[in-house]
Amino acid sequence: MSVETHAHSNPHHEHPDVVGSRNRLGVILILVADIAFALSVIFVYFYLKGQNVNDMWLPKASDTAGATTPVSSMGAWYLTLIAGVGLLTHSYALAGVRAKNQTQLKLGSLVALIASVVGLVYQGMQINNVSFTITMGAYASCYYLIAGLNFMHLLFTVFIALGNWNRSRLGIYAQDHWHVDIVNVWWIWMTVSSLLGAFALSFS
Amino acid sequence: MTTLTNRPASAPGSSAPKKALMERLNVFTAFGLGIIMAVVFWYAAKALLPANTDGSFIKTNRDQWVLLSMIGWFIGFMTGIGALIGPFRWLLGKDLNHDENMFYAGKDQGVKRYFRYTTDHKVVGIQYLVVTTVIFFVGGVLAMLIRTNLGHPGGGWLQPQTYNAIVGTHGIIMIVGTIIMITGPFGNFIMPIMIGARDMAFPRLNALSFWLIVAALPPILSSFFLGGIPTGWSAYNPLADQAPPGMDGYIMFICIFAISTMVAGANITTTVVKMRAKGMTWNRTPIFIYGTVASVALALPAFPVFFLSQVMSALDRATGSTFYDTRGGGSGWLYENLFWIMGHPEVYVILIPAVAALMEMAPVFTRRPLFSFNLAIMGIAGISGLSVLVWAHHMYMTGWAPLLAGPFMLTTELISIPTGMLFLVLIGTLWRGRLWMTMPTASIYALLWNFMIGGITGIYLSDVPADAFLHGSMYVTAHFHYTLMGAGLTGAIASLVFWFPKMTGRMFDKTLSWVAFWLIQIGFNVAFMGMFMVGLAGQPRRVEAYAHMYSQGNMITTAGAYVIMAGMLVLLHGMITSWRSGVMAPMNPWFGKTLEWTVPNPVPLENFEVLPIVTEDAYGYGRKQS
Amino acid sequence: MSEVETPKRPSILKSKDVRMTAILWVIFTAIIGFVASTVQVRAMGAPASETMATTIKMMRVFTWAASPVAGLVAAMAATTLLAKRHYGDTPPEDADHEIRSSAKASSTWLVVSAILCLFAVIWGMIVLQNDNAALLNAKAMNVNVTGQQWVWNFDYVDNGGARSQDLYLPVDRPVVFHVTSKDVLHSFWIVQMGIKIDANPGYVTETSVTPNKIGIYDLRCAELCGLYHAYMQKKVHVVSQADYDTWIQSQGGKA
Repeated sequence: MSVETHAHSNPHHEHPDVVGSRNRLGVILILVADIAFALSVIFVYFYLKGQNVNDMWLPKASDTAGATTPVSSMGAWYLTLIAGVGLLTHSYALAGVRAKNQTQLKLGSLVALIASVVGLVYQGMQINNVSFTITMGAYASCYYLIAGLNFMHLLFTVFIALGNWNRSRLGIYAQDHWHVDIVNVWWIWMTVSSLLGAFALSFS
Repeated sequence: MTTLTNRPASAPGSSAPKKALMERLNVFTAFGLGIIMAVVFWYAAKALLPANTDGSFIKTNRDQWVLLSMIGWFIGFMTGIGALIGPFRWLLGKDLNHDENMFYAGKDQGVKRYFRYTTDHKVVGIQYLVVTTVIFFVGGVLAMLIRTNLGHPGGGWLQPQTYNAIVGTHGIIMIVGTIIMITGPFGNFIMPIMIGARDMAFPRLNALSFWLIVAALPPILSSFFLGGIPTGWSAYNPLADQAPPGMDGYIMFICIFAISTMVAGANITTTVVKMRAKGMTWNRTPIFIYGTVASVALALPAFPVFFLSQVMSALDRATGSTFYDTRGGGSGWLYENLFWIMGHPEVYVILIPAVAALMEMAPVFTRRPLFSFNLAIMGIAGISGLSVLVWAHHMYMTGWAPLLAGPFMLTTELISIPTGMLFLVLIGTLWRGRLWMTMPTASIYALLWNFMIGGITGIYLSDVPADAFLHGSMYVTAHFHYTLMGAGLTGAIASLVFWFPKMTGRMFDKTLSWVAFWLIQIGFNVAFMGMFMVGLAGQPRRVEAYAHMYSQGNMITTAGAYVIMAGMLVLLHGMITSWRSGVMAPMNPWFGKTLEWTVPNPVPLENFEVLPIVTEDAYGYGRKQS
Repeated sequence: MSEVETPKRPSILKSKDVRMTAILWVIFTAIIGFVASTVQVRAMGAPASETMATTIKMMRVFTWAASPVAGLVAAMAATTLLAKRHYGDTPPEDADHEIRSSAKASSTWLVVSAILCLFAVIWGMIVLQNDNAALLNAKAMNVNVTGQQWVWNFDYVDNGGARSQDLYLPVDRPVVFHVTSKDVLHSFWIVQMGIKIDANPGYVTETSVTPNKIGIYDLRCAELCGLYHAYMQKKVHVVSQADYDTWIQSQGGKA
């Protein structure tokens, strides 16, 4: 995603709005794929829960393993909240750059970055502290899937937020800022996907 | 930052400027780093992961090591080809400058640019052409092994494990090959020129989508050395859960390919939506463009579902999760639903570009307008839209949701209506045209023949009671070869001959193209008609041995397969000799009206000196009646 | 003022290519319909149940219904090929018209294809209903089928639970199969009776049929289930009620 790609109507710049709108569409299309993936994960959760094959959605205690008790979905909701904070602070940063306020941009970007790191660490801790292994029934498998994928999302978000903050710091967004715009789109999806996961997990 | 193109001649001693990282990276560094990382991850996994199993469900260490090793291969390969340079430069705020972008585009690098992470869509198109050829070659060899085994009366020449591995690998390799066979080479090389653009919307993503395919190939090919895959190309769980580590190769192949497809989908769609030339309204956009976009737009939401199904399969195999294991609350029906939600749209991903390409050729070779451009678009849109509503016709016999059999039968039969529209467009364009008989023209007729058979046999299969007889038999195999190969591959081969002059600057040898055409079409029809017969007589699919009553039918099919092989080898020979020493092609050998025929051979780096302004569509053939 | 005479449009059949197409259409439809249906029916062999007889009939009728469509496309294609074909490195002259569409042709095509489609759907639904109703037949005998890599086991639950790896059925008696698997997916297919249902681990699925001909038929697994999928086959014996009773007793069951 460099500011100028080599092949344009002239070796000189295309208008940033044109480049920005093009990149925005591309990102949204990639997100369509991610949305399809996420919705399928939610489908998996509710399908297996509904089927409860051999009564093993939440297996009772057996000779080899304890009973699987579902975790409270509050952890997932807190994560959604943290993602929401990241979204809000990044939106604040975006408003800043639109208003030519570089300080607001940098501040908002930094706080968003911190939020993403906090979220990542917190998600990691939650997975670590859960009382069942992935082998203990279909709910357990689904929990690890949802939590693990959310962790991957957060990892990606850290990368994006870090880049966004670093580039803001370097003054790259003094002129055009469609990158910051697009990062906002990502934060929206980060929050929504977290929410989807929390929603599913609240039906255990 | 070292400059790239304007470097002073290197002086002896330490004052010579360093080569930039991106100049050093190419397919060789990619393979090298990939292999190193595969080995490192293997040993790290072996050393650090806990020894085998605690739980009561299937999980093996070997799968963990194989999967992690393949992930290591993937990271190493993509790093070694330079895919990470872009993202990390972005992170560091050191965006690429103009010279670097020009280097990426392959400027002044000669043939080396085909071995690098080159962003020029024309380079990517050629790369796709070569890799697609390789994929079909490997898939074809596997097909000949299958048919040689089955041509032996009663079959049984190959051992079951070998045979099943060959069948499944043939299937998945061909599926990937047919998915990329038109949107890869021609969607990349031709499409941007056809819409009057200088390149794709995201040139670096373009390179990425190509190199991901290359990265995906060693995993699936290595599966043969890891016990092979015992499932067909559809990789049904729970059988896939039981499978040897070769299955992990399949899983990685699909996961990497899914990313490539997603990236290509975003790139092609954005390019067409945002970068058409001035004046190219949707009404003036060539039908091939519609077909290409429909195909990738359909794949975009469908492939992630396949991706997920494989991730879950990997988790079941490597960690003992129970997504598909009923003993742990999982369900095989879950797998089947996820797979076919992707699997059905996918066949239209394969088919639509082929039909659209032939629709693009038809006016050129009949010197009259395309018949009913609007109907063509409606047909493409109708097929694309309905294709997401039919998936469970692959599951009529599973016993899942018997109440839904009726609705799925309805949606599936309905798809014949937009499909029929495409027939009408093609036959309507042939009607009362001035026929210019070339191999691509003949391919249109071949498609009509093959697709008619494929389509009608599909109607029988869509009927639940008839499917109770036909499902799981060789009839199904014959049906989908008629549609994907008889229609799809025919369109792809025609596209090759049609666009060869623009892509290579030379004409495809006429005689060889005709010889290949007849050998392939005749061999194909003999082979797969024979296959319908044994299917109707009750031979199941995916069997290495069969009752002797099927011997004659199988021998006929095998004979046909050998004729196909001859035809394919002639085609390959034609491709190579024409590329090296074929007749030099004029700028517009077919006297076509789409924009790619307005640029010289070889096509300049930025396609157009001055971007064109379009004032009419590309179907202005024919004369007004006086 | 004199009336301007609008010249009468010549009948569509006056044009040579339309006449040629019409003739070829009839010929091709006949050939395609006859060859396709005969070959298919011959290949499928003699049915051993009403279900299979219906399936064969459906395929024959669908073939004849589809033949005019295939015949028309073939006839139009052939007509275009019979016209003067131009070879060479330069194109022929442009066609002498600029026709881009025909509302009549498109709408006719659409309407006809919709009707054919609806016909197929409705007939299919009717047969499907009948097949589903047969599953609820309280007077049917029940056989539990268990597939496992790579054998079939049968439990004759209405005959005292006798277990066997052979499938014997009395002629003219409706039977409902309750099918499951012990390991991976299999598919229970009695070829000549035209019935099939997957064997899923963790679930029981059903199919039913009334065998109406004494003889020996083929049970084949129709879902790739691993190494010996090709060999997961068994003969099905349809015998008289008396012979069935004898056999079931020999297996330790009650007649």
